[in-house]
Amino acid sequence: MAGWLRRHGGLIPYLFLVPGGLWLLVFFVLPMLTMASVALQEGTLGTGYRFTFNLGVFPEVIGRYDDQFLRSLLYALVVTGLTMAIGYPMAYTIAFRGGRYKNVLLLLVILPFFTSFIIRTISWKFILADQGFLLGTLKDIGILDDGFRLLATPIAVISGITYNYLPFVVLPLYVALEKIDYKLVEAATDLYASRAQAFLRVTLPLSMSGVFAGSLLAFIPAAGDYINAELLGGTRETTMIGNVVQTLYLTNNDYPQASAISLILMVGLIGGVLAYQRILRGQELTV
Amino acid sequence: MRDQSRDSQIERAIARAFSGGRYSRRVFLRRAGKGAVVAGSALTLQSILAACGIGPGASGSASPSGAALVGGGEPAGTLVFANWPLYIDVDDETGESPTLQQFTEASGIEVDYQEAIQDNQEFFGTIQPALSAGQDTAWDMIVPTDWMVGKMIGLGYLEAFDVAASVPNFVANASDKYKNPSYDADNRHSVPWQSGITGIAYNPELTGREITGFADLLDPAFEGQIGMFSEVRDSLSLALLHNGVQPKDATEDDVRAAADILRDQAPLVRGYYGNEYAQALADGSLAVTMAWSGDVFQLQFDNPDLQFVVPEAGGILWIDNMTIPKLAQHPNDALAFMDFVYQPEIAAQITEWVNYICPVPAAQEIIRTHAQEAVDADDQETADYLTSVAESELVFPSEEMLGNLHSYKVLSEEEEALWNELFQEITQG
Repeated sequence: MAGWLRRHGGLIPYLFLVPGGLWLLVFFVLPMLTMASVALQEGTLGTGYRFTFNLGVFPEVIGRYDDQFLRSLLYALVVTGLTMAIGYPMAYTIAFRGGRYKNVLLLLVILPFFTSFIIRTISWKFILADQGFLLGTLKDIGILDDGFRLLATPIAVISGITYNYLPFVVLPLYVALEKIDYKLVEAATDLYASRAQAFLRVTLPLSMSGVFAGSLLAFIPAAGDYINAELLGGTRETTMIGNVVQTLYLTNNDYPQASAISLILMVGLIGGVLAYQRILRGQELTV
Repeated sequence: MRDQSRDSQIERAIARAFSGGRYSRRVFLRRAGKGAVVAGSALTLQSILAACGIGPGASGSASPSGAALVGGGEPAGTLVFANWPLYIDVDDETGESPTLQQFTEASGIEVDYQEAIQDNQEFFGTIQPALSAGQDTAWDMIVPTDWMVGKMIGLGYLEAFDVAASVPNFVANASDKYKNPSYDADNRHSVPWQSGITGIAYNPELTGREITGFADLLDPAFEGQIGMFSEVRDSLSLALLHNGVQPKDATEDDVRAAADILRDQAPLVRGYYGNEYAQALADGSLAVTMAWSGDVFQLQFDNPDLQFVVPEAGGILWIDNMTIPKLAQHPNDALAFMDFVYQPEIAAQITEWVNYICPVPAAQEIIRTHAQEAVDADDQETADYLTSVAESELVFPSEEMLGNLHSYKVLSEEEEALWNELFQEITQG
């Protein structure tokens, strides 16, 4: 064994990749291939599905569901912007001003994850209900008009997604910021940089890996989200592409169209990520 | 469940709200089901894999007509039973179901009872691969809703039996309304488990007036406070009835006309709900909404003002049925159970807990007797509860109400595709 290891030691890193590789093969690559195959089939549940290499399904679903595609991308962009705007100052404060409370503050950031995603989103329904705790109170003291509502509006959906993905943004930002040697910032100010200049030319560039990772971790799941859109939205004006896929799969049993949409979404997101990475070229990626 | 207290009512309500319980009896993947996204997609994947190239009834499954009957044999001693969550009586103390225990005592048949059905389509997706491949599904008895029963009969997925010989208590005790239904002639494949009404619920405080029909769901005065169902059959069927068309007779033109009404209504609608409508109604977000009777009966414990009406033009009576999937291992045990629960005393016991419409009319008098027994035992709380069950029109509908209830149409595959397409365009754009 020892001799074998000495001769083939170079293989060890590859052996380490085997468990993860197999996992991805079985639970990612194979389902992907199945999905691609299903997308190109035609038929119904009753008569069965047959592979017909029907490439026409792609233009068909893009034409039929273009509104929902665009809405999902728009929501995901807004959510990414909001999570950055909220998450960056948060991560910055914890990393540089947290002191001995750092761990407590980080715990608070991930604390919501101890509750199920679904229950958190349902709680938002209680909070945002027309006569609920928040709006009911504001209506009672006359700040809001009686007819004002948030549920079933894009505001509720975007707020819900933002809330659900905020920790995914804060954590990588924190890791990136925490690594920064604060002496570099001090050196910049010693060299007559203002605080703003020091931030823009030292801290921000050094934290770009966190910005990259965080924005992807918010954008990608946000684009595919359907739970917030359903629970906090539920109207034609808030339908995201994920809701369409869900309906096509589970209600209409239209597996080919649903698979085609999933593939388009995935290819689109991969393309977007690659372009984004190119824009931020040269940044070390760490999560 | 004679010692049912108000507290356990509330606990049940909470359990339902957070575990995807009764409210989620009818629609897929809501609430807790959403948490089970992974499980859901796995099931879907399974059905896709099976869907690859294998048509239904490719082998094994016999045609619906002329199929051999099951029944008449000795029970094997085991029953594997898939039902919806919170759909059978449960003793608060032991967590066991008295009905299942009594059945085992009486028959010697052990029941493997699983709350496996969250949604008709989704559950169908889990058994369709086996059925289409001509294999046993591992279930001996399942409880699909009427239209799904019709669909499964059409695909040759259900065993046929002689209801008069195998389930005599059904013939003796079931209400005539449940016999020889349109989706299953002569009850050759199914007997009802429980049923309920799709109608309209409203909050009088918000509407400021009595609500009587589907036209109220189209009233611009309630803009943004109107709830509709995301279930295509429910929403389109009520619109069809509003147009004076019986859902079972609906032609393509009728359905398109009904869809036009819903399309015009869409700007007024707050949302297309599954089970979550109950919460939106309870918290004041909805003034008037489509509703399922059992939910409203439950909600009235918290807000007695809430009202449920069958629309003037008619509502839907949906029926969940006990059926035996093709090639089930223990069909005789399933038939024995069907016969067992059609004893009025057992039917009453289940109804006292689940609060849906009981298919056995005689159960009403038995629940009244139980209420009187509770009075005699000085347990006013239980007595009040049982009286409210026995006297509720939502549990024991009057003849007048039943006369205004109609069935879903059993859709052909082309019709189903059309209905889905028309409705999806309205709800999702």
